[in-house]
Amino acid sequence: MEQYFRSALVAVLLLLIQTTFIPYVSVWGYLPDIFIPWLVYVGLRRGQVEATVSGFAVGLLQDLVATKFLGLAALSKTLSSFIAGYFYNENQIEQSLGSYRYVLIVMLSSVVHNTVYFLIFFQGVEGSLLMSVVQASIGTTLYTGVISVMPMFGFSQRYHTSWAQ
Amino acid sequence: MRAALERIYDILFALKEYALLSLLVIISLVLLSLNDNAQVKSIRSVATVVLGLGQDQLSFISGYFGLRRENELLRRVNIELADQANQLREAKLENLRLRQMVGLKDQSRYPLIAAKVVGKNLTLMRNTLTLDKGTSDGVRDHMPIVNEAGLVGVVVASNEYYSVANIILNVDFRASAKIQRTRVDGILAWDGKSLLLKNIAKTLDVSVGDVVITSEYSSTYPAGIRVGIVSSVHEQAGTLFKTVSIAPSVDFVKLEEVFVVTQTPDSLRLELEQKASRTLK
Repeated sequence: MEQYFRSALVAVLLLLIQTTFIPYVSVWGYLPDIFIPWLVYVGLRRGQVEATVSGFAVGLLQDLVATKFLGLAALSKTLSSFIAGYFYNENQIEQSLGSYRYVLIVMLSSVVHNTVYFLIFFQGVEGSLLMSVVQASIGTTLYTGVISVMPMFGFSQRYHTSWAQ
Repeated sequence: MRAALERIYDILFALKEYALLSLLVIISLVLLSLNDNAQVKSIRSVATVVLGLGQDQLSFISGYFGLRRENELLRRVNIELADQANQLREAKLENLRLRQMVGLKDQSRYPLIAAKVVGKNLTLMRNTLTLDKGTSDGVRDHMPIVNEAGLVGVVVASNEYYSVANIILNVDFRASAKIQRTRVDGILAWDGKSLLLKNIAKTLDVSVGDVVITSEYSSTYPAGIRVGIVSSVHEQAGTLFKTVSIAPSVDFVKLEEVFVVTQTPDSLRLELEQKASRTLK
């Protein structure tokens, strides 16, 4: 029970950071999604079911404070955390978290998340939908991948693993 | 029937991840289709309020980042306001000067032409001014230049749009002047260091603080224009005259606007004086 309460607290904290601090660190208009590294952590640490539920809950929370498309973040985060949970391996949790694999899984989840999210988000906008989706997805994915390097090093130190393995 | 239900349960349990995923995706899609629903709107408004409270507590983060931008903006506004204040101050000072000049213009017996000083050549010996008015405005050589403080100089050259004036602090400048209090006459001249009233005999009454004005003996300058104040009086041994130094009324360093007095020397008077001079020789 305490574990779920802690997760909820982390989710709320991340939501506050995402909405208050992150907009100030945009690069060429792209923002990282700090929920993805956390959802990947949940997926690799606790498995696919918990990751999927967490993704849905966090996405819904994000949708509730967003100005439009209720259910969009819930859908995209459910799918991306499901993908992240797919890499859960009970015997290799620490090795997965403390190595470059973590960053790669974050980027893969991020690609899935951003593709679904922006495909719906950009509906009806002027210009090429595909181009807009590809640009936004690549920018956001790369930025999210870069910031996921920090927790990777953190896990690597904590679990005494080599990040290059 | 029971066996069938158990079988379904087993299948669902075996595929629980996919079942859960399907369920959550369906819920998400339903939510997406309910975007304009009133209940959804009310839930969102509550969530927004709750998040707003949280953001308020963390506002120091955005406050820090916003502060730099705000500082830049305020600095720019400050520069613009300082510039505006400077312009207003300039306009106020110009207004003050022009008011004083208008007062002078009203009192003057001669028509005056207002001119701006567009150039100054203050080289100690031959100090001149360049004015933005020329012959097309009615300016002619030998016309006196004045401002509200007193005598400035005389026009020595002019073209269609500009004119050059020797100021009283010029070794080529000469004018008849007198002590206002005692009516003692002398010749106003600049020796490169001081403005002097020359040809004042030692027996005549001149004191420090006396006001010096142009005299009616001058054919170029109207009588009664203030020139300055006697700043020192010295009696040199071996000569008949006093050395009378004058502090000019006009501040030439700050001089920006002047009037050209449209008075030229009386040619008949000049002719007669020159004729008499030749006869006496």
